[in-house]
Amino acid sequence: MPGDCHYLEGNANAKRRVEYTQHLLRSIGLEPERLRMTNLSSAMGHQFADLATRFAEEIRALGPSALRRSRPAAQATAEEG
Amino acid sequence: MIVAEQKPLEEIKGLIAEAQKVLVVGCGTCVTVCFAGGEKEAGILATSLRMATRIDGAPVDVSHATVQRQCEWEYVDPLRDQAHDADIVVSLGCGIGVQALAERFPDVVVVPGLNTTFLGLPTEQGVWEERCAACGSCLLGLTGGICPIARCAKQLLNGPCGGSQNGMCEIGHETPCAWQLIYDRLSAQNRLHLLMDVMPAKDWTTSRDGGPRRITREDLRLAAEASD
Repeated sequence: MPGDCHYLEGNANAKRRVEYTQHLLRSIGLEPERLRMTNLSSAMGHQFADLATRFAEEIRALGPSALRRSRPAAQATAEEG
Repeated sequence: MIVAEQKPLEEIKGLIAEAQKVLVVGCGTCVTVCFAGGEKEAGILATSLRMATRIDGAPVDVSHATVQRQCEWEYVDPLRDQAHDADIVVSLGCGIGVQALAERFPDVVVVPGLNTTFLGLPTEQGVWEERCAACGSCLLGLTGGICPIARCAKQLLNGPCGGSQNGMCEIGHETPCAWQLIYDRLSAQNRLHLLMDVMPAKDWTTSRDGGPRRITREDLRLAAEASD
């Protein structure tokens, strides 16, 4: 959790870098909500599963990213095949 | 060191609007140390431009390369083929680096990816502050090592103005009053007598005000070039 990082300030540094990356995503034209940081410990398996499932649903609701939508149709088909 | 920061991505996209092939060139010296234009930043910018232009519906082929210094011909020359291969080169060097690429490869369109801001140092990790104005006649020996040209908003030479309040400059932005700093430093060193000599009006001809500057060291020139 914030302040409990095994590496002391590691998760605080990570939080700032995640925010910077979200800023980069926004400038590129992608939704910053596609990147999220959450604090968990390795003992919180259930919570991790819940969070991951809910996040996946949120992302699915956002739909394919603009980057994927911009992929030429032929290439997309070849990759899925 | 020279301190710069990257231009907004929208602005850089505008600068490469006519290109189908772009080369982003990073520099391994000052702009690496201020995290504006080094190898990592060149890679991130190249990726960002590829993604953004694809999203915009007009994908651009963007590659990147980084040289140790963009301000010396020896380091810039190996880029010749790659630079000529691109429609536009985005230089992540400081203004000097951009111009060095443009001068060395006059057939290549070179645009700046950074705004070069000032000469300064990192006072702490992640914070850079201006320290030198490159005025050409350094008076730091008279002011305890604190520059009133770079750090005083009015570039005063003989003490603070009336806007100096509680050690802070009237322009705000948490800027300390340079003359307060100078006074405190010289006082701590028991050298306040240095401030008793009045400094006359500064001769600005050695600064940018005197026009573009050049320094020639005949002892360092190669014989063939010196005979020009």
